[in-house]
Amino acid sequence: MNIQEFQTKLFSAAQTSGFTDVEMYYEKKEVFGCQVYKGEIDQYEIAEDGGVSFRGIINGKMGYAYSEKIDKASIPFLLENAKENTRIMHDEDIEEIFAGSSHYGRGNFFSTSLNEITIPEKVQFIKDVERELLALDSRIVATDYCMIRTESASRNLSNNKGLSLTDQMNYLYVIVEAIVKDGEETKTSAEFKVTKDFHSLNAKEIAIKAADAALSQLGSRNIASKDYPVLLRNDAAASLLAIFSANFSAENTQAGLSSLKDKLGKQIAGQKITIVDDPFLEEGLASRTFDSEGVATKKLTLVESGVLQSLLHNQKTAKKEQTKTTGHAHKDSYKSAVKVGPSNLYLEPSGVTFEELLRVMDEGILITELSGLHSGANTVSGDFSVAANGFYVADGKVQYPINLMTIAGNFYQLLQDVEEIGADLIFPLSPVGSPSVLVKTLSVTVE
Amino acid sequence: MLSKSLIEDVLTAALSTGGDFSEIFVEDRFTNNITLQSGRIETCLSGRDFGVGIRVFKGLQSVYAYTTDFSKEGLINAAKNAAQAITGNTIIQLVPLIHEKAETIHPVQIMPQEVDKFRKAAIMKKTYDTAKNYHSSISQVTVRFMDEEQNVLIANSEGKFAEDKRVRSKLSIQAVAVRDNQMETGFHGPGAHQGFEFFENLNIDHYANEAARIAVTMLDASPCPSGKFPVIIDNEFGGVIFHEACGHGLEATSVAKNNSVFANRIGEKVAPSIVTYIDDGTIQNEWGSINIDDEGEKARKNVLIENGILKGYLIDKFNSRRMGMESTGSGRRQSFRFAPTSRMTNTYIAPGKSTPEEIIANTEQGIYTKYMGGGQVNPATGDYNFAVMEAYEVKNGKLGKPLKGATLIGNGPKTLQLVDMVGNNLGHGAGMCGSLSGSIPVNVGQPMIRVSEITVGGTKGE
Repeated sequence: MNIQEFQTKLFSAAQTSGFTDVEMYYEKKEVFGCQVYKGEIDQYEIAEDGGVSFRGIINGKMGYAYSEKIDKASIPFLLENAKENTRIMHDEDIEEIFAGSSHYGRGNFFSTSLNEITIPEKVQFIKDVERELLALDSRIVATDYCMIRTESASRNLSNNKGLSLTDQMNYLYVIVEAIVKDGEETKTSAEFKVTKDFHSLNAKEIAIKAADAALSQLGSRNIASKDYPVLLRNDAAASLLAIFSANFSAENTQAGLSSLKDKLGKQIAGQKITIVDDPFLEEGLASRTFDSEGVATKKLTLVESGVLQSLLHNQKTAKKEQTKTTGHAHKDSYKSAVKVGPSNLYLEPSGVTFEELLRVMDEGILITELSGLHSGANTVSGDFSVAANGFYVADGKVQYPINLMTIAGNFYQLLQDVEEIGADLIFPLSPVGSPSVLVKTLSVTVE
Repeated sequence: MLSKSLIEDVLTAALSTGGDFSEIFVEDRFTNNITLQSGRIETCLSGRDFGVGIRVFKGLQSVYAYTTDFSKEGLINAAKNAAQAITGNTIIQLVPLIHEKAETIHPVQIMPQEVDKFRKAAIMKKTYDTAKNYHSSISQVTVRFMDEEQNVLIANSEGKFAEDKRVRSKLSIQAVAVRDNQMETGFHGPGAHQGFEFFENLNIDHYANEAARIAVTMLDASPCPSGKFPVIIDNEFGGVIFHEACGHGLEATSVAKNNSVFANRIGEKVAPSIVTYIDDGTIQNEWGSINIDDEGEKARKNVLIENGILKGYLIDKFNSRRMGMESTGSGRRQSFRFAPTSRMTNTYIAPGKSTPEEIIANTEQGIYTKYMGGGQVNPATGDYNFAVMEAYEVKNGKLGKPLKGATLIGNGPKTLQLVDMVGNNLGHGAGMCGSLSGSIPVNVGQPMIRVSEITVGGTKGE
């Protein structure tokens, strides 16, 4: 059964079962991935993927169900489960099926030329990256992974109020992690590139970056554990911001899970900090013209010069605060309920170069990687204590790598303590981006 | 789920370009996820996951294709797409399939799909009320309920044709305590390879109160000092440290390519003799347990380290080729979207002789971690990190004030050498483990243990 036919049958059966308003959300994607190891294809993946979710109002309550099997039997499955699920729901905070925004922006998230790149071209490219990498230095012993991946996806939302919206996007990424060894010391470092322009990629350039990042960590030393000024390199800063981005969700403030509650219009960060959410970035991994309720998306400033300007809202959270949705209804996929979430969220860059940031810091620690954020950061309290890799900086220059460290602090305090922001905005294979950020002080413990 | 003749056609199409092994994995999974917050059911979501994964090997090359298109054309097409990555002529023929129903070692009494959702909501409400009423400072409680029935069919060109039903149930409780501007959290998340009877038999009071107690206790906790200390790690979820520090490094995924610090060290002493480390998928009804793995191999008990000596690895079919060693029934995957690879099931340190009281009494100064959060490891370097959820200082053999913000970092193989006491109170804790083949249910476990020195990262200087 094709998807159009499925939708027609689903909506008509829903009406018969007593649903008043109904919506179908459909995702479909094509995936290709290839990993090479020592010159050979090691893993190879090719897929067609997708599923539907149904939302519908019955007896004044919204029911949800999803299915990856698009067949006749799934129609009663979706309707019966959605109906049964409403029985245990409380009837306050009614969700609505949305009739549509007056205007939708035009998305430019799909590159026709990217979809024309052949599988052999992609495979050859990733083999080139590995070959270039292994030839660079005898201390590079292997790659932990060296892969290329493309995804081409579409999402569609239709409802009985006449709305029918479609977004299409595609992207390609390359990721390579080099393993380097010198005597007893082993280090790894990953380098990645995300693009819609395959021909802009240069295998040698990626190899050199991955090699440099790993080799520069060899010869690590110990330094005293204490408080230091810290320069969070762009990718490390972005990973930290990503973890705490959920704190801008009105769903979390309303549930008492984010301390940004009642902070609208207040100074929550240093004056240099401006945080925006832009759903129209061409290369953004979370770009979209409509949100998961079908509301038109638009660019939103969350924090301007340190002042909290807005939270992220969907229809339900907006209603609770007598405000308007910001177009941030979010589902991780057709399998999820409608929640609140950012699109491409980032800290706005300044004009300060990375070298200048090092000079301003003078002495301190440059952090190049954070790990264990999923467990070491408490989004509710804002406290974090996570493992880090980085370098000792003195006289405004990188001196030497440091043994494994932890850095600890509090996200809200860190926002206040930002002294300078770099120009080097990056989205490290993530919809959350940041430039490098110089922080007054964080607690550093060295192994 | 699919007819035998269609499966044979798919396996044959996958071999058409010279592959020497083909496999099909069919998954039909029914899931319910319910969330209760602020006393109300916030979301209730039911769904059906359905898809097919097809894998082809040729020597040390592995190709994987998956699709949600279950029509004959869709499946043959996916098999051919996979085969295209290999070039050559057919070299092997399919061995006739012999159907086997997996032997059930984890009996299920009440199928989740047959239980009225009001009964599920009632369990959640009771959990919520218990945690919320624990103390006046508890400001929010989030209860998550999950149950699922996963039906799988696994067939391969060697004649394997197995089917299995996996039923899992899990309850997660997050409590938030507030005082002035300070917010702290506590968490507990028991789960089992079991049906609705799991919730009916669960000691809800215990888990709900514990989650709330941790949050309330942390309101009074001092910042954890930084430095190197003896660390006592309590049982159950405390085992996450060896899951990261040692378990991942024993998976063939990193051993086969010699990227693991444990590669080529079978027979060597990698830990003190008091350490025995086991992965056992056969423990009845445990969260990480399986009847068969996702390659159709029977679940086993694998002794990885015995009295300090490295005995074996966790091996899947593909890596067994590179390593020249047998599969250990460890091929697992999140869903049909992932090619299986070597993963853990229920992994634990076997109990020793010391009582928990002895361990604490024998520690002059150090840190006691009652509950751990999650962690992470880099298998190539062995470097790990863990968040500690609830910790206490230890002074003169006694527990002192609670500490917060502690992170443990170090190197897995080195930490393993520093285990100097192993308790007698083995317990298991349920968690999700993320790796190459996705996020899968695993148990971590151990009795209380002591490590003579771990680097503790905190917010208070040395």
